[in-house]
Amino acid sequence: MNKPLTDDVSSLTNDMAAIANQRDKQALSRVFDFYAPKIHSFCLASHPGATLMADDITQEVMIKIWNKAHTFNPNTASLTTWIFTIARNARIDYLRKNGRHQSNIDPEFIWDNIVDEDVDLFREAQREKDKKMIAEGLAQLPNEQRQVLVKVYLEGKTHIEAAQDLGIPLGTIKSRVRLALNKLSICIAR
Amino acid sequence: MLNYHPSIELLIDYSAGTLSLAHSISVSTHLEHCAECRRHVSQLNQVGSHLFTGLHMTDSHSHEPSSELNSLKEKMLNNLSADIPTSETIEQAPFDTNTVSARIPRSLHQFIQQDYDQLEWTRLSSSLRVATLCTDTNGSQVALTRIKAGSHIPTHSHTGEEITLVLEGSFSDEGGIYKKGDFISRNASHKHKPVVTKDAECICLTVLDAPIQFTGFFTRWLNPLLRKHHPNGI
Ligand SMILES: [Zn+2]
Repeated sequence: MNKPLTDDVSSLTNDMAAIANQRDKQALSRVFDFYAPKIHSFCLASHPGATLMADDITQEVMIKIWNKAHTFNPNTASLTTWIFTIARNARIDYLRKNGRHQSNIDPEFIWDNIVDEDVDLFREAQREKDKKMIAEGLAQLPNEQRQVLVKVYLEGKTHIEAAQDLGIPLGTIKSRVRLALNKLSICIAR
Repeated sequence: MLNYHPSIELLIDYSAGTLSLAHSISVSTHLEHCAECRRHVSQLNQVGSHLFTGLHMTDSHSHEPSSELNSLKEKMLNNLSADIPTSETIEQAPFDTNTVSARIPRSLHQFIQQDYDQLEWTRLSSSLRVATLCTDTNGSQVALTRIKAGSHIPTHSHTGEEITLVLEGSFSDEGGIYKKGDFISRNASHKHKPVVTKDAECICLTVLDAPIQFTGFFTRWLNPLLRKHHPNGI
């Protein structure tokens, strides 16, 4: 299983400060080199072959990183998680703007970083613990459980679409997801 | 402590971005009231983030022409403004958040710039008023319902899924008492007899799946409205 390149990410976290404070384009260039291929692949995962869309979204996300660098707080979210949520929102926004149906809902103001705003020490310790459990848990996840999470998070499939794709019942999808979350110590009793 | 939360499947779809925007609004609004669900979504975002990191590792040999990404990078770097972001470079909310009443959830700021009272309410009965906030690309509608203190809503069943989130006041039915922040999801198998508590009016956010089939909870009352306003001219 792939291990995250933690060293690179910590030097990139310093680059974020240089972007925010010194408007350092070299720093942005390093962030680009590490994350742009991931953002690009992330877009192609949900829309295979749509390279123009992937280019647009990648550029959009990098410009957001440049403009919002001062709002990034490494104490509340890792750089990768921060960028993942920006990329996720950019993909949603792209589909909304280019979709067949129009909507007056702007996704920018729905997520609004609310999840990572709790900044007390207790929450910080909890977050560190969660991070470790999730990283370890994912590395040991059985393939069939990981596959469902990949469908949902990377390919952007709903649970129902994932069931159709894999040719298994929706109930099986749901139970695989619950088993996976258990292994990641994400206990949601409902 | 809240007693009624979104299902785990909803939280995952929300975190993965596969949930419709209309439904995402209701989840975001719940999160503003619920630290427990905020933590879960934060964990779920980390799951997504780890899978995202696994994409295209820098040490892997990729089939992607990196020269193309390089030219994308050069183009972008040349176009960047080196200025400290100002109100022009940062996307400004197309609304003035200073005028919004403190009781309006942030997730609704894009639709409510002052307070509930300033919305265009349509009276559906002596005790019930509704205001539509927005329509999603799939046709789902997000609306507010406002019910007078102590009102009974007639017994009914409904088809289709309906989400209700309590914004102000509280109401109860056979299933329990629902208070500010509670997230209630109902489908066709439920039959309801909701009653609003006597001490205060109740304002709820409702998300309606398919605009044609409402025989819902509070929202079957919306039918005549939707027929009039739905863009497809049902
Ligand atoms: Zn909750």
